[in-house]
Amino acid sequence: MRFRTDAAPKAEGAVVYAPDLEAPGMLWAALVPSPVAHGRVVRLDLEPARRQPGVVAAVGAAEAVSLLPGGTGDGAAPVFPSPEILYHGQPVAAVAAETLGAARAAARAVELEVEPLPVVSGIEEVFPEWPTRVALPHPQVVGHVHARRGDVDGAFGAADLVHSETYRTPGVHQVALEPHACLAEVSGDTWRLRSSTQTPFGLRSDLAESLGIPADRLVVEGTWVGGGFGGKGGALIEPYALVLAAAAHRPVKLALTYAEEFQLGRTTLPSIIRLDTAVKGGTVTGRRVRLLLDSGASLPGRDFAVGYSMGFLLGPYRTDTFEIEGYAVRTHKPPFGPHRAPFAPQSVFALESHVDGLARRLGVEPLEFRRRNVWKEKDRTAYDQPVGPFGLDACLAAAERTLRDWRRGLPPDHGIGVGCGFWSTNAGEGGEARLELRPDGLVIYEGEREIGNGSVVRGLPTVAEKVLGLPASAIRVAYGDTAKAPFDSGVYGSRTLAALGQAVERASRALLATLASRLGAATSPTLELRDGHVTVVSGGRRVRLATLLTPEERTVGGLVAEGKFYAPAHRLDTSFVTDGQVFPYRDFTGGAHLAEVAVDRETGHVRVVRYAAFHDVGTAVDLALVRGQVEGGVVMGLGTALSEEMRWEPTGRLGNPDLLDYRLPRLRDVPPLQVEIIEGFAGAGPWGAKGMGEPPIIPVAAAVANAIADATGTRVHELPLTPERVARALKLL
Amino acid sequence: MFTLAYPSTPEEAVDRLARAAPGETAVLGGGTDLLLDVESGRTTPTELLSLRKLPWRYLRWERQSLVVGSTLPLRALEVDPKVRTQLPGLWEAIVDVGSPALRSRATLGGNIGRCSPVSDLLPILLALDAQVRIVGPNGRREVPVDAILQESRRTTLGSADLVEAVVVPAAAPCTYLWQRVQPVNDISQVGVATAYAPTPPHWRIAVGGIQPRARRLVEAEGLLRSARPSDFEAELAAQEAARRSTFVTDRRATESYRRRLVSVLVRRAIQRTLARVPPVAGGPSSSP
Repeated sequence: MRFRTDAAPKAEGAVVYAPDLEAPGMLWAALVPSPVAHGRVVRLDLEPARRQPGVVAAVGAAEAVSLLPGGTGDGAAPVFPSPEILYHGQPVAAVAAETLGAARAAARAVELEVEPLPVVSGIEEVFPEWPTRVALPHPQVVGHVHARRGDVDGAFGAADLVHSETYRTPGVHQVALEPHACLAEVSGDTWRLRSSTQTPFGLRSDLAESLGIPADRLVVEGTWVGGGFGGKGGALIEPYALVLAAAAHRPVKLALTYAEEFQLGRTTLPSIIRLDTAVKGGTVTGRRVRLLLDSGASLPGRDFAVGYSMGFLLGPYRTDTFEIEGYAVRTHKPPFGPHRAPFAPQSVFALESHVDGLARRLGVEPLEFRRRNVWKEKDRTAYDQPVGPFGLDACLAAAERTLRDWRRGLPPDHGIGVGCGFWSTNAGEGGEARLELRPDGLVIYEGEREIGNGSVVRGLPTVAEKVLGLPASAIRVAYGDTAKAPFDSGVYGSRTLAALGQAVERASRALLATLASRLGAATSPTLELRDGHVTVVSGGRRVRLATLLTPEERTVGGLVAEGKFYAPAHRLDTSFVTDGQVFPYRDFTGGAHLAEVAVDRETGHVRVVRYAAFHDVGTAVDLALVRGQVEGGVVMGLGTALSEEMRWEPTGRLGNPDLLDYRLPRLRDVPPLQVEIIEGFAGAGPWGAKGMGEPPIIPVAAAVANAIADATGTRVHELPLTPERVARALKLL
Repeated sequence: MFTLAYPSTPEEAVDRLARAAPGETAVLGGGTDLLLDVESGRTTPTELLSLRKLPWRYLRWERQSLVVGSTLPLRALEVDPKVRTQLPGLWEAIVDVGSPALRSRATLGGNIGRCSPVSDLLPILLALDAQVRIVGPNGRREVPVDAILQESRRTTLGSADLVEAVVVPAAAPCTYLWQRVQPVNDISQVGVATAYAPTPPHWRIAVGGIQPRARRLVEAEGLLRSARPSDFEAELAAQEAARRSTFVTDRRATESYRRRLVSVLVRRAIQRTLARVPPVAGGPSSSP
């Protein structure tokens, strides 16, 4: 059994997370929240805060403009609202003081006068009824997507059955254990930031663009990340810390409270999804997908989620006659942001519930119905892309065996549901790795830290280990800031092992090629560790690495190799798109889940009795990491399914910014969980690996919802499937 | 900011409370609610009076009654095997409160003093007709828990009164059932306690998660005339309990859902309690 090298230091508390960062002369920051979700700043007086004991700096919109080299960039959001406030709790000012207590007291002393403006707290306020034609531009629509292929009207006109449903999903938060935190320092003309981020380089370019700081004067160092789940991508709190550090001429640490984390975090927002399916002679002949997605305070043209979601709403099903339309609806909430597989679990909940119900209407066993209709390797997607190696049908076949098993002796009031989905590894722009082979081992240099799943600290060394033959104990990962470390897009899109792993693989092979040429060998050598010395094995010969190195390489740095992986461009013929943007997908992976639930027919309470997840992983480079991702994704998905829900009040205030009433799954909610890894459908990653960070969360809500329908004959059309919501669907009240 | 005082005798604690200005001194037991209130600024005491050094951290059986010192953490009751077998309903109410960490701090005394409408402990204490030993400026007295509770954060206790112990009379067949969205670290939407007191034979039903406080539902109890009510009688009593309770809609449940839950859980609690009534002589016998 091989353990992760970060496990012991994390368990012992030796790892320093961003909220615990310290620097000599460091100040603490506190934010001044807006008391309204929509309004205009009439007066902001920072003087009372500045007069508080221990306060070194207080900044608002005016100070931000004068302190930032480029002011607020064109089209980018200002650091502080000036004058329009767009969501409740939006920071209108910030203070830095000698202690956290002094900073918080000073933040309360700031005098703020706000003129409240009408609040749009949800989609229904903009569209009380389903919109048929929306005249664009529309003040509350910041994005629109429309596309159509085939004779959709003809298919619906000729249909002998049309299955139509509307689904609703709520806002859900990433709830990383560690809230956002960073430490900023401005010295000379260098802006330096240590931050808990999934994307140090992305954060740098984000800040450079929005704050007008030249990227070469901005240095970002990623800290260990206490959970990201998509919530720690672009800039969130860093601008406040940077402006304060510039004002105070001292390092400033800003760490959110958990209530602030809930109120300010960018995450999945509510949606309404309408699905219509035309059937003729038992065959699906046409589909309509319509989506209203709450976009929060997203700026016009900045919405990505509507277009991105469309593929998941069409699903892994053969479809060439469809119409899709979606609106990004502007409301007074923080902007929409990524949350593990952005909007895919919600899309798949709606689609898979719909497909399940349709199969039942057609009298076909729901799992069998899916097997008939999902993509096989030779198929093309709805957007007419080749599917390629795709193991969803194999996952479903494996699930079918378990389903038969579970069906035997199923108690009354129990039900079994199936859900399936696809994911496409997002390779990002690309990534680079620098490897240093030294006489005593290998160092992998990276610009990003481990965010918890193991892909950096264990996944990347595993790739090097497999290529080079060195044992894991001789490989370590070293980190640098954006000024020193090789570029990488960041930890998102399930890309780390699949994409950055290829850079490590290429660099490893480059090392072997150099060694082969120094040995004059025709074939690549392998490496082993003998008595603590890296030894090169070639054609039966064993040579200590040190003897093959130049004096300089022996002294500093070792033998260096670099590897780069930049994703090939994926072109999509978008002639079928009439407005907005849809996204090409690539490198498809599939997963099928089974949930068995027990439903209390008198109270609506749902208990997940057991669970099984089947995933096409391409190749499992590291089985323990893959299983960890599947187990974690399923548990996180059970929260989306059963209990997680951000509840905004009509005033735009978040009513449950705490972990008591925003309910995460606890250990007692986790059922016995069976994980089955399906290999043989090679992806683009090392040895055919596919990214597995996000796929496991995708089918969970769907599987649980379908299990409830199986147990009760009643479908619940809204997440989460709380006891009261199920009770209402069962007409118990 | 506040100072922390550790009186070492009940008399000293009562004396300090009696001399304190209103709102200045707060009593600190487990602190699971008080510290949240201090943190949020809901209360701003200048002195916290910790009960930690008082000799009230005990559990003992006096004849048939369980006597629980008011500062004993719930966790100690939870792990006591006799509590579990003799008072299963009390154990059921305790074992799922919050988390183990919270139960290692929370106390019965705190539950009574705080008088939260969503307390899981108050319904079972009401159903078991628990008595509360109070020490105050005029000495000691014992009153039924029912006579103390008023509404959230309000009781009939005087400002210098302290709960010294809770006396749960005679081991009785009893049950506590709750519903929450999640089994742990969540607040019950409703909680229902039933108990059968053999001498004189009487059923008691109490409900929590209602307004203004947990209470006995004597009208529903009155429908359970026999020691072994039928399913139909249990159902009638449950319906009556739901009818007689005052529900509100809040962020955890709607009024109508709470009513539904009470009507289901009261019936189930009666049935479960019945299953715990020993069928042999010495236990309750069937009425004619």
